[in-house]
Amino acid sequence: MAVAGMEQTINRDPALFYWILFPITIVMILTGILRHYASILMSTPPKPPSTPSESRERLALLRGIHLRNHASSTLSPSSFESRRTHLVTAYKSGTFLKDGPESRGKAAPNPMTDPAAMEGMMGMMKGNMAMMIPQTLIMGWINAFFAGYVILKLPFPLTIRFKSMLQSGVMTRDLDVRWVSSLSWYFLCLFGLQPVFAFILGNDNAANQMSQQMAQMNPAANANPFGPGQDPDKMFLAEAENLEVMEHYSILDGVEERLLRSQGVVLE
Amino acid sequence: MALPASQSDPSSTLQLSQKAPLLLSTATPASHFFPLTLLEKPETPATWTDYERLFQACLRAGDDKSAHLCLERLTMRFGASDSRVMGLRGMYQEAIATSTEDLERILRSYEKILRADPMNVPILKRRIAIKKSLARPQEAISALVEFLESNATDAEAWCEVADLYHSQGMNAQAIFSMEEALLIAPNAWNLHARMGELEYSSVAAGTESAQATQKLLADAVRRFSRSIELCDGYLRGYYGLKIASHRLLENLDTSTSSTLSDIPPRNVISQLHDHASKKLEHIIDTRSTQIVHSDSARAELIAAQELLDRSC
Repeated sequence: MAVAGMEQTINRDPALFYWILFPITIVMILTGILRHYASILMSTPPKPPSTPSESRERLALLRGIHLRNHASSTLSPSSFESRRTHLVTAYKSGTFLKDGPESRGKAAPNPMTDPAAMEGMMGMMKGNMAMMIPQTLIMGWINAFFAGYVILKLPFPLTIRFKSMLQSGVMTRDLDVRWVSSLSWYFLCLFGLQPVFAFILGNDNAANQMSQQMAQMNPAANANPFGPGQDPDKMFLAEAENLEVMEHYSILDGVEERLLRSQGVVLE
Repeated sequence: MALPASQSDPSSTLQLSQKAPLLLSTATPASHFFPLTLLEKPETPATWTDYERLFQACLRAGDDKSAHLCLERLTMRFGASDSRVMGLRGMYQEAIATSTEDLERILRSYEKILRADPMNVPILKRRIAIKKSLARPQEAISALVEFLESNATDAEAWCEVADLYHSQGMNAQAIFSMEEALLIAPNAWNLHARMGELEYSSVAAGTESAQATQKLLADAVRRFSRSIELCDGYLRGYYGLKIASHRLLENLDTSTSSTLSDIPPRNVISQLHDHASKKLEHIIDTRSTQIVHSDSARAELIAAQELLDRSC
């Protein structure tokens, strides 16, 4: 244990500072930037629907959701009722399904064999890999070259709990918590550089969306509401149920009085 | 370059297109090789929407040369096979077409593209637009209906089909399509007002029974009220409210049959009418003193003034 009131001194070669602290920091920043561009390069935009029936299947669900959310602020009871009946029967009979009503009840394709679903999972994996591989490499590099170095002294005192955070790789019980080891500096950089990246690269999505922007008039239509392995038929049935239990009120009822009152006209 | 968003106004379009040669004379983006590109200002998504807007403004103002330059740059950046660029190229070709045969030829080229890629949305829309400009509204409507079958969440297309139906006198269908557009954008006050206009004009066609007329007029009054509720000082809404409530009052006076239950009470309608007149006067007073005005806004003011003069 460090004795209170007594300053520990370790004579450090100033070269430690130039040859370890700076290289680690710079390498971390550079890999962060590299990773950012690598993930942009590797990311695949969501595939737009390739046939009209596929597009209809995707958007049919959105239509139900729109009706459920917005009907009260737009529709009169009669037009709501006719739309609801139409959508519910269509959902239940499977009219909107990509391969027609006959394809109902078939088991959902195995996501491992379905190439479209596979692509989505590959995308996720690529993202994870872009994160993991550089980290493993850099940590290996630091462990191989700088293991056990104490490279920095913090200018403020800390409690003993920080010892495991700041002195990983240095197995000294009595060392003051203020000393930081090289491996810990790596971890501090790993978690603490996010604001620096935000400063250098701008908001992450700025560069990311550029290529997708021209892809289609409304990018929202591109997104697939069905995740891999989800059965559209089941989601349609669930949506039909939601619509059936929905209670309709119209915001247009009594809008005249409401308008007059809000504009300060006294009703006679 | 930061360009104004307004596209519907002729005078601002003209101003914008007159600036085009200047804007286009600056260095083209992506004209340098790799190390130099780092020194340039980074492109933002807004850069390319600005180019697109400039392109459309130039086409409207008849400056085909600048439009072509814009198109070239967009093609250079995104490639000729990008569906949106294809749509813009189609728009350019349609604009420089001089005869019906040219348009027919472009239409055939669209059909060819669509055979290869049936979900090329910009080209699908251009095909509909070309049918409309060839004065074949029936074909345009059926193409739009087919398009909406697979793209049911496209509010723009729903509005377009509502307009086409309206132009063909099929008001019930127009109202249905407008309702669909409203379902996608429930707080768009202009769509609410447009809906009111459709309902009002379907009454003006005069084929409905007395009760249906009353119901449609009451609906129109409600739609206009809603549009005003969503946007204070919306001149079009007040204008519509005034004429619709006026018509409804007349109708209530003359009709002999019993009134429907869901018609708002008479005194409320007459108060709405008075309130709309007062508001219109107020709007005309305040806005006509302001100097900066686009043509369309001025035209609206004049129309409102005329309406007030007529009723007094």
